[in-house]
Amino acid sequence: MVPHDLRYTAEHEWVRMTASGLAEFGITDFAQAALGDIVYVSLPAVGDSLSSGRTCGEVESTKSVSDIYAPVDGVVAERNDGLDNTPETVNSDPFGAGWLVRVTLSDGEGLQSLLTAAEYESLITAS
Amino acid sequence: MTTTELNRTPLYERHRAAVAKTADFGGWDMPIEYTGVVAEHTAVRSAVGIFDVSHMGKLAVYGDGAVAFLNSLLANDLDRIAAGQAQYSMLCNDDGGVIDDLIVYRWSDDGAYVIPNASNAAIVASVLRGAAPEGITIDDQHLTHGIIAVQGPRSTEVLGSLGFPVDHDYMSMARSDFADSPVIVCRTGYTGEHGYELVAPSAVLGDLWDELLPAVTSVGGLPAGLGARDTLRTEMGYPLHGQDISPVITPVEAGLGWAIGWDKPEFTGREALLAQRAAGPRRRLHGLLSLDRGIPRPHMPVHAVAKGVLAGDVVGEITSGTFSPTLKKGIALALLDSSVAVGDEVAVDVRGRESRFTVVKPPFVQPSTR
Repeated sequence: MVPHDLRYTAEHEWVRMTASGLAEFGITDFAQAALGDIVYVSLPAVGDSLSSGRTCGEVESTKSVSDIYAPVDGVVAERNDGLDNTPETVNSDPFGAGWLVRVTLSDGEGLQSLLTAAEYESLITAS
Repeated sequence: MTTTELNRTPLYERHRAAVAKTADFGGWDMPIEYTGVVAEHTAVRSAVGIFDVSHMGKLAVYGDGAVAFLNSLLANDLDRIAAGQAQYSMLCNDDGGVIDDLIVYRWSDDGAYVIPNASNAAIVASVLRGAAPEGITIDDQHLTHGIIAVQGPRSTEVLGSLGFPVDHDYMSMARSDFADSPVIVCRTGYTGEHGYELVAPSAVLGDLWDELLPAVTSVGGLPAGLGARDTLRTEMGYPLHGQDISPVITPVEAGLGWAIGWDKPEFTGREALLAQRAAGPRRRLHGLLSLDRGIPRPHMPVHAVAKGVLAGDVVGEITSGTFSPTLKKGIALALLDSSVAVGDEVAVDVRGRESRFTVVKPPFVQPSTR
């Protein structure tokens, strides 16, 4: 499942522009399925600066831990605090209620450098 | 070292068809999870789960005085159990370290069935063969037989519906049959729940699985993989060989003195273990229960609590650690200096972050094996 209206990274994050102009991101369905039952999500704090490609948090499942890589440059505007108590939402709704962070982008380039849905789909099909 | 083909159990194609995630465990390509570790774990605690544990070793040991022969090598005292009963035991080395932990089923004075771990089955067979006097046979049935575990409060219902014997006591066994083949129905397990392990010839294992599985799912159960098996056994504080016990971790250190026949005249490692017991071990296996959100993993360092993040001395390391689906928090087994006591607070280095834990005596969840 790769929604066509989102952009992606090779590290299995998705990004969407919200109506309020923030870049919202999370991990893909492919990533949550590979991780298994997610039991803990560690997110950056509101106000933290993110730099694309750098780790900014962790997603931990019953069996392993994966880093979360910032997909964009910017400042954390909102974090999904609900995941503290219900981290399994990332499994059940990775592209919706399981979002991780909303970012105020630091430049006007937006999401142009990220993978398209078609590019991401061919990446996970090849792996 | 060359790469070798992974072994496959007689149920391998069924696991593939069920889209289980599989991985190498002790040289076997085993199902790790089907629907998810948490769902499978919960099914075993609340209803029933069915596991393929055919990777476990299987050694039939028979001949005049076979049990007395095993009793001269293995740590626990087989004279504590009668024919038809099972016992947790260990094969130790001369230094008292654990070559493997295993279950021994006592058939008679002249026959027993030994279940070692998958990755240690060959070495256990080789040690027994090397020591066996003439007239005692070590018959390695690792590849000719499989094991299906049915574990959980509704396991009796599942086995009963197929006509298997179910009323025997915990840690005992009954002979039965399936499709004209002999099946041993053991009241044993690695989950802490009331349950059974069925040993059957490989040729009928697929048909046995196909009859048990619908009986399991009809009472709300699930097929369960080694991922759930690990979280279930960790909640019980059951040691895993290669992590919590090993050739360099002794039963005295691991708190397994109850599984040693101290009064026996001989067993491998006896002198070293008696000396360690008398002197007191320098380190002990303890339980750790998270006080925050940290999830411990094997080999993470454990520190004494001091001011400043992870400033205290290293007092040991995690040997098994996971998220407990029952308690919804991190739990671990850890080898800690003897200066650390139950009730103490310690700090675990979770990838550079300090996470606080209380030292406890396992189990983390009360067992209901009986």
